[in-house]
Amino acid sequence: MIVLLAVVAGVVSGLVLQPNVPLDLQPYLPIAVVAALDALFGGVRAWLEGIFDDKVFVVSFVGNVLVASLIVYLGDKLGVGGELSTGIVVVLGIRIFSNAAAIRRHLFRA
Amino acid sequence: MSLLVDLSSSSLDPGYAEAAARRGDGPGGARPRPGPALALGVLAATLLIVIAAVQAHVRAPAAGRTRADLAASVTRQAHAVDALAHEVAGLRAAVGRLRDTELAGTATGAQLSARIRAEEIASGTAAVTGPGVEVTLGDAPGNGATGGGSTRNRVLDRDLQAVVNALWAAGAEAVAVDGQRLTASSAIRQAGDAILINFTPVSGPYRVQAVGDPVAIETAFAASATAGLMRSYSQLYGLRFDYSRETELRLPAAAEETLRYAHPVPSPTARGGHR
Repeated sequence: MIVLLAVVAGVVSGLVLQPNVPLDLQPYLPIAVVAALDALFGGVRAWLEGIFDDKVFVVSFVGNVLVASLIVYLGDKLGVGGELSTGIVVVLGIRIFSNAAAIRRHLFRA
Repeated sequence: MSLLVDLSSSSLDPGYAEAAARRGDGPGGARPRPGPALALGVLAATLLIVIAAVQAHVRAPAAGRTRADLAASVTRQAHAVDALAHEVAGLRAAVGRLRDTELAGTATGAQLSARIRAEEIASGTAAVTGPGVEVTLGDAPGNGATGGGSTRNRVLDRDLQAVVNALWAAGAEAVAVDGQRLTASSAIRQAGDAILINFTPVSGPYRVQAVGDPVAIETAFAASATAGLMRSYSQLYGLRFDYSRETELRLPAAAEETLRYAHPVPSPTARGGHR
């Protein structure tokens, strides 16, 4: 229930406030979204497996977003930002897929 | 490969298992009550995703808008420049008229006024009209807008330079290309795909207008090496090249030159006259 409320609050405040992301931060937004998706899928899977822990979820979410952005930032400074972004998307994408597969197994037993 | 296997086998954050072990309940145990931390995390994650979506949505047409804005701004500024140039021409004509009426009073003044007129025409700072010859140069038809590839079927800056020089040599008293009056300090040069005259881009077909004795100019120009070269270009590559006598041409004035370093030498006769 509280989760649903949080989702609704997030969507509504995002749409209503339409915060202006500073230009310097805009390149990291897609990577941050992928990292957030990874944390979300991990959290859902852990919840389905009965080992969910909100502290772990929040810390993994914040940590993932920060580390992913930091790596891309470093890559940009070193001139390999595009390659590092690809690497992060691949790693997080694989995690998202296998977490999604685990969720599917839990939900549909298939 | 082991990296990828690791990645897909331990895709769940190990922190969850550790936390569960700390709590002492294994997998399948009672689900903990969701707390405010969870709500905060979910809120932050949703917010992030929505912001990214909004940004992507807002930014997509922004690039096109910026482009259109820039194009409109360029057009606006070009119009403003045109209007200002027009105003300058009008004001300069008014100044000339006032000067002439002021000088017309005395004999020396009238003499001076006539001399200033002649100098203005020669230096290109006064608009002139008179008979002359108009030469038209144009790119060959079927020339793609790509700009790359061959430049053989395009009019280049050096073609225009050669034609203008040939017209001067044929006795032209004033020359303008596409409404750009040529003076002693004019430059005709290529900048990418465009030709700049007096730093103003012009586009083909280029009309080179020369005021002077039409018959003499036409005869001398037709016999010049440049005209022969342009005729052969026109036959070989399909460049447009023709010229005709005109009974009346109107050539605008060139922008006034600001002389920063050159000063007139004080002439001894003028000084003697004043004394």
